[in-house]
Amino acid sequence: MEAVAIEICASAGFRFAEKVGEGAFKQTFLVQDQSGKNKALKVFRPRNSLARSQRELDAMLRCNHQNIGRLEGVATLHHGGVDYTYTIEEYLGGGTLTKRIAEGLLDSTQLRGLGSALIDAVGHIASRNLVHRDLKPDNILFRNDRITPVIVDFGLVRDLSSSSLTKTWVLQGPGTPFFAAPEQLNNNKDLVDWRTDQFGLGIVLAVCGFGQHPYGREGDGPEDVVGRVIARESPSPEFLEWVHSSGLEPLARMIDPWPVARYRTPELLQYAWNT
Amino acid sequence: MSVYHQMGHDSINLVDTKELSDFAGAIISPVNYNEAQVLQHIAKIRHRTSFEWLFDPQLYYPRSDRGELPGWSYFPSNVDTVDISSEAWWSGVVAGVVETCTRLRPSAACSPAFAAPVYTDDYYAMMVSIGNEFSGALRGTGIDPVQTVIVNLADLSQQNRAMEIATVVSRTLAQSIFLIYVSDTAPRREVKDPTQLVGGMRLINALERAGLPVTVGYSSSESILWKYAGATHLSTGKFFNLRRFTKTRFEEPTEGGGQLPYWFEENLLAFLRESDVVRAQRENLLSERSLANPFAAGILGCIGDAKAWLGLSWRFYMYAFCDLESRVHIGQTPVPDLLLTAERNWMQLEDQGILMEEPRNDGSWIRPWRQAAAEARRLLGLP
Repeated sequence: MEAVAIEICASAGFRFAEKVGEGAFKQTFLVQDQSGKNKALKVFRPRNSLARSQRELDAMLRCNHQNIGRLEGVATLHHGGVDYTYTIEEYLGGGTLTKRIAEGLLDSTQLRGLGSALIDAVGHIASRNLVHRDLKPDNILFRNDRITPVIVDFGLVRDLSSSSLTKTWVLQGPGTPFFAAPEQLNNNKDLVDWRTDQFGLGIVLAVCGFGQHPYGREGDGPEDVVGRVIARESPSPEFLEWVHSSGLEPLARMIDPWPVARYRTPELLQYAWNT
Repeated sequence: MSVYHQMGHDSINLVDTKELSDFAGAIISPVNYNEAQVLQHIAKIRHRTSFEWLFDPQLYYPRSDRGELPGWSYFPSNVDTVDISSEAWWSGVVAGVVETCTRLRPSAACSPAFAAPVYTDDYYAMMVSIGNEFSGALRGTGIDPVQTVIVNLADLSQQNRAMEIATVVSRTLAQSIFLIYVSDTAPRREVKDPTQLVGGMRLINALERAGLPVTVGYSSSESILWKYAGATHLSTGKFFNLRRFTKTRFEEPTEGGGQLPYWFEENLLAFLRESDVVRAQRENLLSERSLANPFAAGILGCIGDAKAWLGLSWRFYMYAFCDLESRVHIGQTPVPDLLLTAERNWMQLEDQGILMEEPRNDGSWIRPWRQAAAEARRLLGLP
């Protein structure tokens, strides 16, 4: 794939710098454009379904928000007898939220700021009738200011206005199980909507501030935690206590096992989060 | 918070009865009246400035229960030949209903909905989609859109079904819900399955907590459980016995007791026939509330004089329903206490060997209702 990236750079007049990331469906490279600005070049693996890539790209093109990764171009390169789809996106140099958490938990003031920006972004995604379905710290990057969070990777996005591409979901449905909502894990496709992202975001924010999955109990491994979410158990008493002592009560509602019990609209969530 | 008069056949006089002025409004029935009659009704009640008219297009069974419906301009002429589960077809219906609403100018209008053979998630998603189109079309008219939700009560005995339905229908763009429970319980009989009742309460509670005020339509005595679960409004009508929303709901009852008058007794949470009113009165089981009902003295006088009291029984019931809803709403009459009192009174009757005229009028629904209330209390954190 690196050879493909280098050839893309040569044809587009970019300078190839280095490989910076790799996922199941694509590889990401740091490149510089003609003016020397950093860009992210993402090359989709050819075995990846074209429809799936197209779905991700369509979703990104429909979004235009400061906290959502910006897609600047899409093209295809014929290399070695294979067509490679690639994108040019803004380069987010502030690292991932995963890296940020590794440096230490966020206090409630930091959490409020982070949450407010990401709720706004999730609301924007919802306004486009899309569900990201894979919100997790790895998919939240920061701009160079290390303050502005940006949601990336729409590889699992679901367009609620069209039929699902995957008629049969893989075990437990798409998404990273640790951050996934019960309706994803139980494969209740009809119950998936923007509130599914609300749940994922709630888990992300909880991990950032509380340091653990809110459904986890002492001695639980990740599979136990996921099992509790699947069974629609309640969050741990310790988490609920932390939520109250931190003045972050909306978090408890965001991660309710049932979508109907979460905030009904992004506006209601944003209002609750900021008051 | 308030009760709406579910209009039925020949019920405009009840709507305008002075003693029933605590009803917040009425739900128009296009199955029972044509458009000209409805316009007359609206004109007749115009003096009550705070009175709310809700328009319900009542397309629940468009191929069978039609009544006056075919005369309404929104009623689709091709209903017998098309696939009524087609969302595209309903778009045309929505436009017609909106046009009718702009002529009638009701305070609020229920989204068109049909009763399905099976109530799947896809069905509810479609009802919400139709409702959202309806809401969009009413924007700027000053008429509040209400999302109609029809639920088979039997489905709610499945664990989690209430929450699944609530999740899908809470996507509505309307700001409130008109909820109709379909049940195969026979007319004039109470629902006795506590799991269904708990599911019904759970659904109402979930929608209310999501910020969607619920009006439970076609209610009867079981509605105290819906109120306990948090329902904001109820609607009922003089044909309380048709509350099951069975396919016969708009027909005059024909079998035993159809045109007989009933006394709704709060102390027993039951509908009593004339001879049973006499029995209950003899045992001092008629509640103070019932005796204070402005139509009680008239009824007891009629019974003493062997005169007919059907019209009074309708008014008595409507007043009692509204009064009870109001007391339950403000917490003056806690539902668990109400149920406990009713059970004790039925046990007293049993102990004394006093039997009601109707064999099934035996209070056997009170224990399941108490069980449902207790379970809902535990599940939903009710007082």
